[in-house]
Amino acid sequence: MDNGTSNSASENETITLKSCDGIEFHIDARIANRYTLLNNWNGGESACIPNVNGKVLEKVLEWCEHHINDPQLNCGDDDSRRRNTIIEEWDENFLSCDQDMLFEIILAANYLEIKPLLDLGCKTVANMMKSKSPEEIRSAFNIDNDYTPEEEEQFRKENEWAEDY
Amino acid sequence: MASKLLMVDMPELMEKILKNLNNEIDSLYSCALVSRYWCKIAIPILWQDPFSFDEHYSLIPKYFSSLSEDTLKECGLNEKISKTLFDYAKFLKVLDLDCFERMVKQWNCIEHFEYTYIEYIEYIEQDDWKKCPSTNLLVNSLLKLFIESGATLHKLVVSFHDSIMIMPEKIFSLLGRNESFFSQLQHLSLDEISLVKIESAIAFLRALPKYTTKISALEFNGFEFTFTEAEYDQLQLIHALIYIIKSQKQLRLFSIVIEETLAKHYGIISALESQKNSLQEIIVENCDYSEEFEVLKNCKNLETLRFRTYCDYKIPLKMLDYNKINTLDIVDDIIETREMALILEKTGISLQRLKVESRSEQIQEDSLLLNALKSFCPNITYLYIFNIGFSTQLIEVIGNLQKLQFLTLMCNVDDVQEEEMKIRVMQFAKILPLTLQYLDLVDKWLETYIDIFLNHCNSPLRKLIFEKLENEKNTKALIEFCVRKKTLNYVGLDDPLMLDNNIRKEMEAYVELVPYEDITIDC
Repeated sequence: MDNGTSNSASENETITLKSCDGIEFHIDARIANRYTLLNNWNGGESACIPNVNGKVLEKVLEWCEHHINDPQLNCGDDDSRRRNTIIEEWDENFLSCDQDMLFEIILAANYLEIKPLLDLGCKTVANMMKSKSPEEIRSAFNIDNDYTPEEEEQFRKENEWAEDY
Repeated sequence: MASKLLMVDMPELMEKILKNLNNEIDSLYSCALVSRYWCKIAIPILWQDPFSFDEHYSLIPKYFSSLSEDTLKECGLNEKISKTLFDYAKFLKVLDLDCFERMVKQWNCIEHFEYTYIEYIEYIEQDDWKKCPSTNLLVNSLLKLFIESGATLHKLVVSFHDSIMIMPEKIFSLLGRNESFFSQLQHLSLDEISLVKIESAIAFLRALPKYTTKISALEFNGFEFTFTEAEYDQLQLIHALIYIIKSQKQLRLFSIVIEETLAKHYGIISALESQKNSLQEIIVENCDYSEEFEVLKNCKNLETLRFRTYCDYKIPLKMLDYNKINTLDIVDDIIETREMALILEKTGISLQRLKVESRSEQIQEDSLLLNALKSFCPNITYLYIFNIGFSTQLIEVIGNLQKLQFLTLMCNVDDVQEEEMKIRVMQFAKILPLTLQYLDLVDKWLETYIDIFLNHCNSPLRKLIFEKLENEKNTKALIEFCVRKKTLNYVGLDDPLMLDNNIRKEMEAYVELVPYEDITIDC
């Protein structure tokens, strides 16, 4: 088996990853080659990915597999113009899961440094906030309002220019 | 219980989420009102680019609480200023000096001196701002405040036209307390330079590289005068431009958009040799070919070419033997079809995004263009064609693009008889690839036949723009399409609020109606 340090893994090579709850996944070695942190946990029999459970790791790996042939962006490539406007249909369906799972995927992508999945997850959450009132956002994400009435009034006064944008 | 991601544990992730809303000011405003923690994350994003829209001049006084009493008095601001919740000045990241100055002028006239809007416009037209020292003082005091509050700019638009009061080169003398003001600058746009301000521009361009080498996008918008190399100042300006290009470590985008055709390039284009490893995109307008463009052959990461009016097609033709271009965007008064076909032949399989816009007249000899598209460019995912005949060949070529996801089309249909038009619309609808998810029918050219189109379209469209939706048969067809395909999320219209209330409500049960600009996708 490839030790994962080479960038030239072939389509037939697989590696084994283990979630923190002990579930094993045999994945295309090219996926691990692409994302450094996945690569780091490849190899040892007892090696497992801390902090990511089997259910979430399965989803993350499903996404990685689907995007295995995507062009890799340069480090620091932040051309948000194009990516801001488009979420591919497959990705949109992929993240149409319950909210807890969506947040778990974002956390895992952040932990495993899978930047495109992290960007996608963050954009999906942002889209859920679009054109909503503060009350609607609080209710959608179960957030408590801890403003005092005075603070809220002052905030509104100082930022009224943005209110009816 | 809310996810820890949205609570205090992970501010970097929360910031990353909210940054996606940086163009959605009203949504950011709502987010900031959700809770104190959300406010802390949302406010810096809300205030990073506050001067983009003139009408929001009421935000200007929110900076005043950070100005000293003496400064306030000097500026003629004698009323009591209360402390704000945040020091908003430090959040500034995008600064267009012209917009900023205009907004301060507007606030000073309308709010402070209580001019009517008409009086304000008259005042602007007199262009006599130097007689209003309080405006000048206020502009400079606020600039100083941005610097001293610790702001770090990411984008700067500098203007050197006759009527602007700000002298950008003077900013450097204010940097004492915050040398990092320019240190993170990634995008620099130099607006048209006037003869009167040429020395100011030279001084600015020479000084800036001392404070930043991280600019990744550099735009040069030309001169307000006819350039002549015989003038010493003008050559000095060219040298200063070359200096700023060479001084940066990783330029990714270079744009030179000028009004009068530049036949010679005085070393500006050659200077891009210093950026050959990083340059990914160039935008050129009004440029003849010169040997300087040969330098682009060495830019192995160059992948996007945008050519605007009056550019010599020799520029892309010479380059394309050496570069793998995936995005090509050509907008001109008239498209030179033969050369365009050759360009497509050379870009070939690497081309994924193509925009061809003919502004003045319908694209002539379009079959050459369409043949080239069909023969050499099978990997197109984004296609934008503006001002082309609605021919059966066009329909066939679009149908052959098996990876096409985004299509924007404006066809000239004057020559097509009504019955023939119905047949072609039907063919067009049926032949669209099953990969297509976005369709923008610009300029209402298919308006009369939308029902026929929708009744025969099988593509799983998610976004559809056709600007106008007025008669009953079109709304009915749209509803049927929504029900049949179950994919359509948005329909872009001129102004959805202008629709009859009942029609709008009926439609919104099936699909979201939005202003078309909200969903338009650029090349």
